[in-house]
This record gives sequence, structure tokens and C-alpha cells, in this order.
Amino acid sequence: MTHWCVVTVSATVIAVSAALAQTPAREQLARGQLLWDQRLAKSATAALEAAAKDPATASEAHEALGRMYTFRGWQADNVYPGWHDEPSLREKALAELRAAVAADPTRASARDALRVAEGLAAAESVDPAPTRPEVRALDGKLQAASTVDEILGAVDARARAQADPAPYFTGAQMLIDRAAYAQAIAMAGRGAAASDRFIDENLSAYQLTGKWEGSFARGRATAADLVGWALFLQKEYARAGEKLEEAARLSQNQDPANQFHLGEWARTQNDARSARDHYLTALSLQGGPPPLRQRVLQALTSLMSNDPAAAGGFDAWLDAELSRRRDERRAGALTTMVNRALPKLTLTTIDGRPYDTSGLRGKVVLLNFFASW
Amino acid sequence: MPHLKASFAKYQTNPNVAFLLVSIDEDTKRLQRYLNEMKFPFPVARLDAATAQQAMRFDNTPSSFYVDRDGIVRYQLTGGEPHGDSPNRVPWFIDQLLEQPRSR
Repeated sequence: MTHWCVVTVSATVIAVSAALAQTPAREQLARGQLLWDQRLAKSATAALEAAAKDPATASEAHEALGRMYTFRGWQADNVYPGWHDEPSLREKALAELRAAVAADPTRASARDALRVAEGLAAAESVDPAPTRPEVRALDGKLQAASTVDEILGAVDARARAQADPAPYFTGAQMLIDRAAYAQAIAMAGRGAAASDRFIDENLSAYQLTGKWEGSFARGRATAADLVGWALFLQKEYARAGEKLEEAARLSQNQDPANQFHLGEWARTQNDARSARDHYLTALSLQGGPPPLRQRVLQALTSLMSNDPAAAGGFDAWLDAELSRRRDERRAGALTTMVNRALPKLTLTTIDGRPYDTSGLRGKVVLLNFFASW
Repeated sequence: MPHLKASFAKYQTNPNVAFLLVSIDEDTKRLQRYLNEMKFPFPVARLDAATAQQAMRFDNTPSSFYVDRDGIVRYQLTGGEPHGDSPNRVPWFIDQLLEQPRSR
């Protein structure tokens, strides 16, 4: 039996190496480089690691891996929403670049990349990487697009250069503004898929599960809201309501634009009370562009013009309602350690010595966990 | 984080209240730079991210825990706070716990 097992294993190994041989290392290298240009880290890593195994492409592949880890280790902070530096990749960056130089000592670009990474390792602080000029140019082109065809073309070009979902969502909004609703809905759907893939390819950049889960939900919420709003403007109210409410669940009622859209939708359903609630929620949230706030305020003012609740003055009523909403959200944010004893935590001081927590005993303690990223 | 500094001023001389920040940073250089910038008037300790998340059941930063005088966590707030009234929140929680009778 043992003998047979061994034979089976070697057969598998041969099959795997045959499969690898069918995809030449140079092809893997080019694929890996393109994937990382698009910021799809997981797939890029797999392709580049395969290419690094072939002596013919080892130096280039190690250099590409080293450059990717340099970016992710030192320069990733907020380059996309929720991204952070991954200090654990810094040693890997240096090791890959050294491997690149070792595999081909004449390779000047690898030596340059190593010098840069060593400089970052020694630096007191490192700025996040700027947007690549070609991506910025494609973003500009999308902003400047005016016809539907131009928008569709500009989104595709930008999405090919970099795989984050932003151009799809920008494009979908532009299509809505031009009453191209069917195309907007399709575009938002592509944005949701791009968002999911982009996050999945870069999970470790989000550091904490809550951050990547939040990013997944935000991408899907943005798409659902765009679809819902396009349906609303087409007067397809039943389906619009479903999508807008889906967006509200995904954003946990924290997206001001979506709350405005739900308010507008509720008015078409003759549900003044729900419309009022959504407008108030939109106003009680931070953020949202000023024109949106203005529109919400107008809608709410007209809705409340004959309402006895605001008879004592609209502004005073609005203040009271907004502060009540903040209180409710405060209560809603309270979660899981509540009513449990504070566990023993083995803390250290900033310079690594044991931290004595005995001074906290018998006091009301505000314990705040934070990260400087 | 500036709202913590603002709130701390109110309790600085109160022997029954303590503020403690716990950094889960991996990058000590960056942490030091941040602390130099912020100049927190209260202590800052460190704990590695995985241990902290497991022990305190949070999955996002910042996470605040308000512990009463018996050592029981009474309020927990996780993640960014889009509520727009952070400076008033901190004293509200602390005052609730200062007013609460002690069990022992």
C-alpha cells in the first residue's frame, strides 16, 4: 500500500510540473506584473511566485514581488479606503529584492528597488504612494466624458488600468445624470462585483475583520443604492424600494445619499412619516455633500410645512429630532463586552516593559484601543 | 482622539477616574511619531492586535470600553463615530458610571 501511495504522489507531482511547464514562466511574470498594476495582490503573488521558480525569470519576478511588498509594507496607507501598511511584509520586501539582485547581479532596476526599500526601512516616516499618473489621467478622462458611449469607454479604460470599483460607481452616477438608467444599473452591478473582488484580493491590507467586512458592505451598499435610485427615476417604485432598502441595511442606515433616496421613495408611497424619518436620518449623519444636505432640508421643510409637530418652529423641532437620533445611534453602537468583567490584559509600556495596571483598580476607567494607522 | 484629550481635562484631578490608551500598532516608529504629535496627557500602553481583539471582542479601531469601579465593562463603542457629538459622549458615559452605586 505504502508503495502505491508513493507512486500516486510522484504521479501528481509530475502532473503539476507538466501543468506549470505549459504556462511558460515569462507568461506568468507578465500576468503577475499586470495583476499588481491593477492592485490585485493575491493573484499577482501567485503568478509572480510561479515565475520566480524559473531561473530565466527569477530575477524579474523577485523584483516585482519586492516592489509589491514595498508598496504594501510602507506605502499603502489609505491609498484605497480602509487600506493600511503591513509592517510584516517589510522584511519580505527586502528579502525578495535581495533575491532579485542575487539571481542577476547586473540587474540595475532590482538594485535601485532594493536601495529604495532600504531607504524606507531607515526612514523616520514614509508617505503613502501617490496615484499612478496614468490612472489619474484616466480618472480625469472619465470625469470629462459627456456622452453615454464616452462614459462607458472611459470606465472600461480606467478599470483595466486599476481594478478598484471607484470608476464603476462614478460612471453609474454619471449615467443616471444622463437618464441612461439601464446602463447605469448594469454599471453599478459591475461595480459591486469589482468591489468584492478587489477587497478579496487585498484582505490583509484591511488589518481587522471589521474593516474588510465594512468595506464589502459599503461596496454592495453603494451599488444597491445606485440601482435603486435609477429604478426610482424610471418610476419602477416597487423594485426601487427593494434595492434602496437593501442599501440601507448594508450601510446600517449610515449613508446620507441613500437616506435621502429612501425619503423621496417614501413620498411616492404617500408615507410622510417614513419620508420624514429618512430625511432626518440623512441630516443627522456626518458627511454627504452640501448640495445633498440642501436638497434634504428643502424636502423636509416642504414636508413639514403643515405638520403640527413643527408648529412651534421648524428649527427648534429639527434640533430636537437630530439630537434624539444621535442618542439612539449612541445606544445602538454599544456591543459585546458589556456587563462582563474586564479580563486581565498583559500590557506593556511603549518601550516594551510590563505595564502595571493595579492603579486602575476601583476607578472608572476609559480604556481606548487604537492604532496610529 | 482629540475628543479624548478634551474630555480628560474634566477628570484630570478626579482620583476615581482613569484614562488608558492601548495601542495595537505593529509599527513602533509610526506609533512614537503619532504620540509625539498627539502629546496625550494620559498613559499609553501597548498590546498586540490579535490578543487585544480576542480578549476584548472588538474587530475595529478605535474601540472604547468604559469600565465601572467594580471592574465590569458597562459600555463598549467600536469603530469610527459618525455621530458628530463625540466630545459630549465621553463625559456622559463616565458620569453614568461615577453615579452608579458600587456593589462591593
